[in-house]
Amino acid sequence: MKFTKRAALAALFALSASAASAQTKTLDGIQNMHRTAVSPIYAGNEVKGYLMFGRGDKADRKNDNYLLDFYDQDLGKVSNVTIQKPSGRYSLISNTFNGSAFAFYFLNSKEDKLEMETYDTGLKKIGTKVIDDISKADKMMISTQMRGQETNGGMMGNGMTLFPVPGLGFVRNSYTGMAKGYAMVMYDNNLNAKWRVASDEKSKFYETLGLTEAVDKYVLGIKMQRDGLMSRKFTSTMVAIDATTGKKVFDMPVETSKTEQLSLSSFTFDPATREFVAVGEYYKLDDKPFVNKSQGFYIKRFTEAGKLIGGKNFGWQREVMAIMPNEAKPSLEDNYVNYAHSIVKGSNGKLYIVAEQFKIVGDGLGIALTALGGRGASVSKGKVGNMFVFEVDPQANLTAVKFYAKDPSNASLPEGSGFMSAGILGHIMKAQGDFDYQFMQKNDANSQFNVVYINFDKEKGEATKKVVGNIAFGDNGKYAVDKIDLTSGSTYSYVYPAKPGYVMIADYYKKKSQLGMKLVKLNI
Amino acid sequence: MFRLLCLLIIGVLGANGALAQDAAYLPYYSRDTTQLYQLAVAQRNDVKTHLVVPKTGSSEYREHYKKVVKEASDDVFNSIRYSALLDPVVEPFVQQVFARILKANPQLPTARLVLTRNPEPNAHAVGNGTVMLNLGLLPRLENESQLAFILCHELAHVACRHMENGLQERLTTLHSKELKREFRRIINSEYNIGSQIKALALGFSLNNSYHHRRFERQADSLGYVLLTHTAYEAPQAYRALELLDTIDEPENPAPLALPSYFSCADFPRAFGNAPAKPTSIFTVKAAEKTVLESTDTLKSHPDCAKRMRFVQTLAHDQVAKGPQPTSPPDFARIRSLSRLEVVQSWFDYDCYDHALFEALQLLPQQPNSPFLRSVVLLSLFELRQHLQDHTYTEVVSNISTHQPANFNALLRTLHDLRYEDFTGLSTCFAQASAPAAAMPADEYTLAARYATTVLATEATSATAKGLRDQYQKQYAGGRFDKLLFPVTPAKAMRR
Repeated sequence: MKFTKRAALAALFALSASAASAQTKTLDGIQNMHRTAVSPIYAGNEVKGYLMFGRGDKADRKNDNYLLDFYDQDLGKVSNVTIQKPSGRYSLISNTFNGSAFAFYFLNSKEDKLEMETYDTGLKKIGTKVIDDISKADKMMISTQMRGQETNGGMMGNGMTLFPVPGLGFVRNSYTGMAKGYAMVMYDNNLNAKWRVASDEKSKFYETLGLTEAVDKYVLGIKMQRDGLMSRKFTSTMVAIDATTGKKVFDMPVETSKTEQLSLSSFTFDPATREFVAVGEYYKLDDKPFVNKSQGFYIKRFTEAGKLIGGKNFGWQREVMAIMPNEAKPSLEDNYVNYAHSIVKGSNGKLYIVAEQFKIVGDGLGIALTALGGRGASVSKGKVGNMFVFEVDPQANLTAVKFYAKDPSNASLPEGSGFMSAGILGHIMKAQGDFDYQFMQKNDANSQFNVVYINFDKEKGEATKKVVGNIAFGDNGKYAVDKIDLTSGSTYSYVYPAKPGYVMIADYYKKKSQLGMKLVKLNI
Repeated sequence: MFRLLCLLIIGVLGANGALAQDAAYLPYYSRDTTQLYQLAVAQRNDVKTHLVVPKTGSSEYREHYKKVVKEASDDVFNSIRYSALLDPVVEPFVQQVFARILKANPQLPTARLVLTRNPEPNAHAVGNGTVMLNLGLLPRLENESQLAFILCHELAHVACRHMENGLQERLTTLHSKELKREFRRIINSEYNIGSQIKALALGFSLNNSYHHRRFERQADSLGYVLLTHTAYEAPQAYRALELLDTIDEPENPAPLALPSYFSCADFPRAFGNAPAKPTSIFTVKAAEKTVLESTDTLKSHPDCAKRMRFVQTLAHDQVAKGPQPTSPPDFARIRSLSRLEVVQSWFDYDCYDHALFEALQLLPQQPNSPFLRSVVLLSLFELRQHLQDHTYTEVVSNISTHQPANFNALLRTLHDLRYEDFTGLSTCFAQASAPAAAMPADEYTLAARYATTVLATEATSATAKGLRDQYQKQYAGGRFDKLLFPVTPAKAMRR
């Protein structure tokens, strides 16, 4: 996605630049703007800059000039790169930085190709690779990404990305066939292929692999397995790949106990203890992971050899309810269930699980009509509720449940949703972008975290009330909330990750063709 | 040599006298803005009258000219209405220097001087014969003769009609058949329009800069002649340019004594630990700034070194070089008061980082100044307010290599502060060699006392309310009334 820039005659008259020292940036001549036109550039956990991708003017009969504008973490302009690519049919899918090179992943819709380009830190091009064979599943995934919707990390893979592996290169993922299997190809910074890991073509299962982390010598991922395309029974598998050789060193299902089914939300490696840590939710034995309402969440620890060395369950109704703040209890009793957006481990050894409540609001007539074979545009409504942070100490004790109330917002769900179970609905709502959760920020030391969500009335619109909520927590043991009033006269307002302690707000004014970007220091 | 020694002694005595005298100085403020308004309106009208839209040229050209005149007159109005300084000390002084120049050069067209509170060291002439002198320039000069040369230079621009000629030249070029043809060619060329327009704009700007440099050379030349007609020392013209050449460098590069002011038993804080600006992931060599992007300072616009060589030739090498003897007492006082007014200006422009920096730089010389101490506390108050309102980055600058190292060090600290830190900072500062409270408290002291109380206990405390009532009773409509006690929209409606 991109912005479109007008070649402004106004440049003839603009003889002075805005103050160079402010942590703000105003750009004129922006004719349209999508949220994905600006993307943060990460080095490790922290935002170190921003990339703006946009279409400029025509380069020749077939091509346009596309602009890659680079800004540092303080919104200072660094440089720009202009590339000539097919007119109006070229989009940036993702940008990635691995500590020594930038990788840009483009979709050339005209020629139905994927293109990768890498640049060194001096922004000199160092690699190019064109991918001709795009599977149907790849196209479907890209299409979802291009609409600005989220691709789910666990159940459906990680969308189409170039996954950065510090010091080594980038891993490109793809889906084979109709998402029957997956393939991962590791490239060095010059885009020479180094290794390939793929699902077994002869396997009877449908498999996706979503990479989650490059840590120590491993590239980690979560593999989801199911019997068929329409199957709603998922099995979660922990996968660790040797980053240098591409050899799978760990590919193990989360153990399913005799009393419950397990799903996997987070799989990490702790270099200090040389342990793999798995976190997920558990379900009744007869229920389906991800599909039915979970009973709680669990934590399991494994040695590098895959031996289970510890684990604990935390039931929503027991352990969690026991220390749940009083103001949170009514919502839990109001049929709300939790969707776990992110699970992180702090440098203090504590695990933090960020969840958001949601529920389906029954529409009796709609459900009845659907049951009778009738068709309606939308027969069910989803409702998004409050935010939670669960804190688990290194001894696996649930030490805090933090509750953050916000205005409920409504979501329109596709027909038939009334019959879906809670788990799958959560994933649909996530994919539709219905949740208010935006992203989580963390510093390189993993000592400070900041969860960003947006609170606005989806019925009356963003113009009436729009608040960016920030929940901060970390090693200092303090939980702080900071709310930024974002109600403004802009056509669109977007919030982006920023350097630790800040968020970046972009306001686009359609009439003025102006984009204002500013860093906001959080009051945490 | 003896003369120099005498000058030095007189200068030092004068400076000390000025310091003692200025310890209790409070920047000028008047609730009555009638005079400012009248002056602003008169100047706006004068610019409109002076810049007559030519009867020749295309309709587009005339419309553009009208637009520029409107913008210029509005700019003049706003500059004067919101920043002209009509104080009883500094303004009369600079007016006196200006009057002496005019008297010694009767051939000059009608001209007037407006002193603005702008803290940036600069001056410029407006098309109607008005010279705008920024307050920020005064502390950077060493004597009256250097100020006289700056004013002579601006008057030379007026006498040579540089603004009018420059405007006409620019607009004539912009609306020329050649440029229009080129522009049409670019638009019709269909491809790479953006880069072609950019190149065209750059060429236009370079051409404009060439004319600008030519004008500056003329202004230096005539300005020098005008100065020689006065009783001021003409050799100081060269020294004035020398000072402008170093205008971007800090006057005092010493690090601020932050720990001595802001760390105490109640709030022990190590100030050297503020995280440095992270190294950029980019290794792109900073692009040469084009004329379009460069920031305009007296050093760079145009090149001072060339101007110095030119003036040296004009003066047949009779020039004053290097630091000059300490200013005569009158000018030393003007410098000193201007410096304080500059601190206030930064504060009034919502540049609390600069206000804090300037105040902390001056405090070692004037530790008992209620004004400087109050500015520190009020700046902390405002910074916390902006942090709370999520507008902190709009009032705290980015760290930049273009700024002095000591200012960047302060910025690192400011970027690292959390909401609750401001309480500790203000507590320590209030404790650090606090002077005996003045009776009755002046406006600054009272406002700072309120700010300190709010930083420590929030605005709803009984003490804060008491101080608020006291301020509003003693200084109703005062300098800090709207800033410290803003009227909420709901209350404003009721009123």
